[in-house]
Amino acid sequence: MTFDWSVIWTNLPRFAEGAWMTVWLAVVTMALAIPGGLILAFLRMSPFKVVSFAAATFVEFFRATPLILQIYWAYYVLPAYFDMQFSQLTTAILGLTCNISSFNSETFRAGILSIRKGQWNAGKAIGMSDVQIMWHIVLPQAVMRVLPALATTWVSLFKDTSLVSIISVSDLSYVSLKIRSETYRILEVLTAMAVIYWLMGYPQAKIVDWIHRHYKVVE
Amino acid sequence: MSAQETPVKRINHGESPILSFENVSKRYGTLQALDQVTLTVNRGEVVCLIGPSGSGKSTALRCANALETLDSGRVLFEGKEVRADDNRNARQVRRRMGMVFQNFELFPHLTVLKNVTIGLTTVLKLDEAAADKRALTLLAKVGLSDKASAHAANLSGGQQQRVAIARALAMEPALMLFDEPTSALDPETIGEVLSVMKALADEGMTMVVVTHEMDFARRVGNWVVVFDKGRVIEQGPPRQIFEAATVPRTREFLNHLGWHGESKIEPAREPKQ
Amino acid sequence: MAIDLSPFANSWPFLLKAVALTVFISAMSMLLGFVLGVVVGALRTYGGRFFDIVLGFYVDTMRSIPLLVILIWIYFAFPLVIGASVDVTSAAIVGLGLHLGAYMAETIRAGLTSVRRGQMAAALALGMSHTQAIRTIILPQALIRMLPSLGSLFVFAIKDSAIASVIAVPELLRQTQVVAGNTYRPFELYTAAMIVYFLLCFPVARGVDWIYRRVAHLGSS
Ligand SMILES: Nc1ncnc2c1ncn2[C@@H]1O[C@H](COP(=O)(O)OP(=O)(O)OP(=O)(O)O)[C@@H](O)[C@H]1O
Ligand SMILES: [Mg+2]
Repeated sequence: MTFDWSVIWTNLPRFAEGAWMTVWLAVVTMALAIPGGLILAFLRMSPFKVVSFAAATFVEFFRATPLILQIYWAYYVLPAYFDMQFSQLTTAILGLTCNISSFNSETFRAGILSIRKGQWNAGKAIGMSDVQIMWHIVLPQAVMRVLPALATTWVSLFKDTSLVSIISVSDLSYVSLKIRSETYRILEVLTAMAVIYWLMGYPQAKIVDWIHRHYKVVE
Repeated sequence: MSAQETPVKRINHGESPILSFENVSKRYGTLQALDQVTLTVNRGEVVCLIGPSGSGKSTALRCANALETLDSGRVLFEGKEVRADDNRNARQVRRRMGMVFQNFELFPHLTVLKNVTIGLTTVLKLDEAAADKRALTLLAKVGLSDKASAHAANLSGGQQQRVAIARALAMEPALMLFDEPTSALDPETIGEVLSVMKALADEGMTMVVVTHEMDFARRVGNWVVVFDKGRVIEQGPPRQIFEAATVPRTREFLNHLGWHGESKIEPAREPKQ
Repeated sequence: MAIDLSPFANSWPFLLKAVALTVFISAMSMLLGFVLGVVVGALRTYGGRFFDIVLGFYVDTMRSIPLLVILIWIYFAFPLVIGASVDVTSAAIVGLGLHLGAYMAETIRAGLTSVRRGQMAAALALGMSHTQAIRTIILPQALIRMLPSLGSLFVFAIKDSAIASVIAVPELLRQTQVVAGNTYRPFELYTAAMIVYFLLCFPVARGVDWIYRRVAHLGSS
């Protein structure tokens, strides 16, 4: 068996474009899924039963079904049955954002709930409104607690972006699979794809570990 | 005062000691946790180790039980050298020594009965029935027969510590080590643990007890060893240490503790003279 | 929009078999992941520097490469390395298990290190060997403490099994695609698949939580 690694070098610009798309997808999704998660978290903690139930259902549903299926569903079902015409890229971002927002909402909810009642009472005692207490006291503390979980979610999001290749969004995995079918250098191209993901993901995993060590909550 | 001037005979003096430290030193980084420690424990004795926090008492127990390697010196147990770096030797030693910890260290995932039998079944390879039988006898001895099927989380500190004592005794040790067995307890439950320990001493069990309960050391101990900064600064019978300490640092330490001489041991309350 | 359930009338045995395969693949990868997780987690915690570094590399590699990429590599590239083809279901189970095992290892390692050091000392003081102490005293407590995290990893195992559809393992998502393509009823089929995955995952998540609430006290030394 002979290997021809030159296909990697000749196609390097395309790999780079794919990698860029992967990063871009992760960044855009997270930028949308942080506010999305916060909104879902607050809705779920709403005193109105209907609202909190709806939010809980949304979150539990997205957490308990495969992201890959959510992407297919958005891709095949939304345009055909609900007359919503999205580009593949928009569909991908929609699917990823709903999914990651659901995970983020649980992170935020746990963060907010973990702030002891005493903190609320302390805020009330000095005459702050609920909104002021939330903004000045609870949220800053919650951020310290949610950061490690958000970082973990970020890395899984980074990996999960690969799933949008199934609806032909040209991220790193889609581009790689395309190069594979053009060149038939299967081992070389697939290995290059894995290595590029590794090169991007490994430092992120290490940073996540650092964040977990650094922000470890000591009760 | 003249009584103290005659040299005191220790229990089983002249026979080979069950445990002895010969110039034992142990460092943690730059910290000299034990510095040339020499002491002996004879069969049947209750030896109490006292001294300020951080003076090396726990380290000494851990060295005795092969949980720490030494930097220099030797620890001899039943005439053989204790070697923490030799797994087989270490296990042999630990099997013959019982150890009771400040924080009880009951196994939370096991019932009280299982806590006592686990050493019997995994280490001594006793069958379940024999192990249960022995465990129940020991639980009765520490007054906890009714708690056999409870879990540690549902016991008071004093009860947990008594289970820990039963767990150690189940292995039929030749020597019992206690590391501040009552320091983590509520004042109300200290007495029940000390009573169990006193009963054990009265049966002739050889014990090394690290304690801040000066009353226990004075009444139950046969020999008291005072530690300071990793060194043994003074040792002798309780009467000498508590009433006629020769080293100023010992007196300072005892004063600092505000030792008031009130008994916490429930039975056998001796009349004060 | 009219909902048409006729595809299920014809294809339910076909889809039911796919559900069974999804359950099988999930269960096998959980098993493989759990065994790997215990072994790797314990070796990294107690096995010294060498194991920590080598196995740490395995764990961090699995944490940085997407499962899709791992599965595709194992099924399409690995056979070229060994010069023999691999069975697609086995490839899926191995890929899923290797990936899950890394996360399990991290979880179990966190559990092992969270058990108070005194527990090890107490076990050794009874005369146990290190292995006995880890197996009978430390590991059970670690598993109890980590039950919620292990539960979400089990849920991930079920959800991730759907990614095996990209290498054409005839599991639920793959066969749903097949039937949807033949019948032109993607809405009904993908929605049904969604519900089935939910019915598989949600009880596992809730069940593990339920068990944890009952045993949590057994892990708190
Ligand atoms: N594993 C360790 N690593 C580093 N230093 C240690 C370790 N164990 C004990 N030390 C240090 O060694 C010294 C002696 O500790 P040791 O626990 O023996 O004291 P102690 O007399 O039992 O005190 P206490 O009454 O507080 O229990 C202390 O300064 C302690 O901080
Ligand atoms: Mg100590």
